[in-house]
Amino acid sequence: MESSRDNHIKLQMRERESDYTNLQPYRIFCGTWNVNGQQASEAINEWLCPAEDSEPPDIYAIGFQELDLSKNAYIFSESVREEDWYKRIKEALHPKAKYKKVVKLVRLVGMMLVVFIRKGLELEIYDVMSGTVGTGIMGVMGNKGGVAVRFGLRDSTLCFVNSHLAAHTVEFERPHTDFKDINSRMLFGNRTISDHELVPCFFFFFSSENSLLFCSIVIWLGDLNYRLSDIDNDACKKLISDGRLQELMKYDQLVRQISQKNVFLDYLEGKISFIPTYKYDPGTDTWDTSEKCRTPAWCDRILWRGSNVGQLCYRSHMACKLSDHKPVSSIFESGIKVIDRAKQRQVYEDVMKQLDKWENEFLPQVEVSTMEIKFKDIKFIEQKKEILVVSNTGQVPVQFEFIPKPSDTNFCEPWLSVEPSKAVISVGAKCEVHLSVYVNKDTGPSLNSGKARIEDILVLHLDGGKDLFITVSGNYIPSSFSSSIETLVRMFKPVTDVETGSLIEIVSASTSLQHLILTIDQASSPNPSEDPPLDIPKEIWRLVDHLYKYGMEQDELFRQPGLHSEIQLIRDCLDQGKPRLLPGSVHSVAEALLLFLEVLPEPVVPYEHYDLCLHVCDNFTQAKQVLQRLPTSHRNVFKYICAFLRELLKHSASNFLDARFLGELHLNGHQSSRTAHQTRADHRSSLLCDAF
Amino acid sequence: MAAGPYNYSYIFKYIIIGDMGVGKSCLLHQFTEKKFMADCPHTIGVEFGTRIIEVAGQKIKLQIWDTAGQERFRAVTRSYYRGAAGALMVYDITTFIVRSTYNHLSSWLTDARNLTNPNTVIFLIGNKSDLEAQRDVTYEEAKQFADENGLMFLECSAKTGENVEEAFLDTAKKIYQNIQDGSLDLNAAESGVQHKPTTPRNTLSNDQPQSKDGCAC
Repeated sequence: MESSRDNHIKLQMRERESDYTNLQPYRIFCGTWNVNGQQASEAINEWLCPAEDSEPPDIYAIGFQELDLSKNAYIFSESVREEDWYKRIKEALHPKAKYKKVVKLVRLVGMMLVVFIRKGLELEIYDVMSGTVGTGIMGVMGNKGGVAVRFGLRDSTLCFVNSHLAAHTVEFERPHTDFKDINSRMLFGNRTISDHELVPCFFFFFSSENSLLFCSIVIWLGDLNYRLSDIDNDACKKLISDGRLQELMKYDQLVRQISQKNVFLDYLEGKISFIPTYKYDPGTDTWDTSEKCRTPAWCDRILWRGSNVGQLCYRSHMACKLSDHKPVSSIFESGIKVIDRAKQRQVYEDVMKQLDKWENEFLPQVEVSTMEIKFKDIKFIEQKKEILVVSNTGQVPVQFEFIPKPSDTNFCEPWLSVEPSKAVISVGAKCEVHLSVYVNKDTGPSLNSGKARIEDILVLHLDGGKDLFITVSGNYIPSSFSSSIETLVRMFKPVTDVETGSLIEIVSASTSLQHLILTIDQASSPNPSEDPPLDIPKEIWRLVDHLYKYGMEQDELFRQPGLHSEIQLIRDCLDQGKPRLLPGSVHSVAEALLLFLEVLPEPVVPYEHYDLCLHVCDNFTQAKQVLQRLPTSHRNVFKYICAFLRELLKHSASNFLDARFLGELHLNGHQSSRTAHQTRADHRSSLLCDAF
Repeated sequence: MAAGPYNYSYIFKYIIIGDMGVGKSCLLHQFTEKKFMADCPHTIGVEFGTRIIEVAGQKIKLQIWDTAGQERFRAVTRSYYRGAAGALMVYDITTFIVRSTYNHLSSWLTDARNLTNPNTVIFLIGNKSDLEAQRDVTYEEAKQFADENGLMFLECSAKTGENVEEAFLDTAKKIYQNIQDGSLDLNAAESGVQHKPTTPRNTLSNDQPQSKDGCAC
């Protein structure tokens, strides 16, 4: 993300370069001469500073080929010729200006390149590097190849290449190969590779930004060794003497190859208005008279690549006679980039601003079908579902996740479940999130008592973006299930009616269980707390009474499960107090009774008495004493259930129940977490049952 | 290519807090998009915005969390205060209808103080300064409140953009100053600042950005 941001800024800045870049003209003199190994025996002012050049150049780039043809030149980096020619060059620079060398020189065997810059301008150059590539013997030796100097000037990078490419008329493919080699292998290190290091230059690869390709201006000069094809010597010389140079140019291999895009792609060459610079009898202007009698050719050339480069002149210098080549020179006026820092800064700020805008636009965005989810009439153990639709309305894929609030470990309340809690949504797509509320024995008590409410705020977090708060709310219909015995015995009317405030008389029912006399008073006062509490919760009575009436003979009673839907109806019936007859099968009623006991917030035998009860379960007298310590209503329920169980056992012939099973069932139902004590618990239950 | 360093060297986390409807989201929008968002819906959640700014020649990325102002979300939004380097506490200059709003500001301030680190820069913003005719809070009394509590203070308009840039930048300058003078420990947990050292460049071109518009504090 960050690096792509950087790349984008770079690209934008490059594209808008002209908005903040000015061009400053610099005059660049380039010269090339194949000196054929001759000593520096004559002045070279005619070449480097001819009389017509009134204005001194800012930069000199001077290339020699065949500077030293001695065997020593291959072996030693020092060369006497080098020093001699260097002195000659210094003497010949334009007298109207003072020059400093950019690099002393770079030389590979016979190829030497010297670059000078006008005094005062040296402060504007930086990152000076040089490199050499040998393409001669074995493809690496320095008898052929190229040397180059590269440097930054203001905000441009300049590169000068001096090369001596392979020769021969019949083999004009060779120079191309050499050209490509130099191009690909010319990588600039921070040091000059000495000529006797026979190591291919690509070992000195530092970074691709250092290759020739990345210079804003490249000037390529040298003895490129392209000849004239398809023309014989006499015809050639005739055209020259007739001054029909443009006609002769059609036979030039380099011109042909460039037009066929085989070589020097993107390079330009100025119009040649000078006669071929090769081959002369040394010391004269006479065409080669040796045995070989070479056809004249424009071997020595200067080409360039890059924008804002204008060629002022392109010429040869006939006055320099000591070699079989004539020197060539060209003066360029080239626009060097100078960045206006203030303008650049402005453009940069613009680019950044645009990018900031995009970054914000590319933040993940979603729309949700609702910010508030309301569940209606939630009942105990009855699942309610709602759907939240999350739509990706942004421009990037979104990963969302419900995250916990700081004080919580879970992202939602225990009565709520959310599926999925995290997902990835592609651009334009939607995701359905299913929310369901289910109140069970863990969450029921506090909701029944009003201590807790169906209220939650979900934090829907978008990865790398904003958070949305989804409010979940609902009304819970209190139930007798999961209410405490103490509450229930003080509730004289059905639970659902309590909140409405209306009073409904609860008819005291004559107990069918004659061992217990239940005196359920009729509620007559609007303030139930002033009335004496019921002996046992009426709901337990109704469930037991129903079983007593309709289930005593039922085979598999308590062994066969009831139906969940019927249990919900039974719950409603108990909570609403109507209809009088409990719905569903006796199995459902039996399970409802077990459930009722199981979800009591405080079990029939309260937690605090539990250990003691286990302790005394083998001793009938002590057990009776402990029983007396239970709260009245709990004791009543206990006695009532036990009485009921005993009644059930009387019918064991038909319902096939035994004391052990019932003991397990009833006493573990609401103490299921204490299974370790199961054996002793059911032992106790049998004992207690026997006691009655 | 010699341009300034492209990457940012710091990330500052900001939170925007304050009552519902005072214009927190509009301030964020004005700062990140330079546009006024009319008919901005109530934020139900926490919006997120980012912008890169420059202080003393340093590029700083601001990550801004704009919190829901509704009271019922207060408990949840408190969790976003942690690790904030800057807290922009916004009120509406036109709705000081009940003078007890001072208490309201105090309660936001208490939250900000309790839930952030001691060096978190708290900036009081009186928004809607364009509605001069409906002004109900004088500059002076708000300034006094800010001074008494050691807060930075500006009146802004998310609508016209007046002082919006300044409020966000001045906060950053103050944070940067705290870093420079060592009062904000970058290594401390939840400083709200991440330092991202940029790799040094090896070109000797004029790479350093001119810092004339730098830290004025």
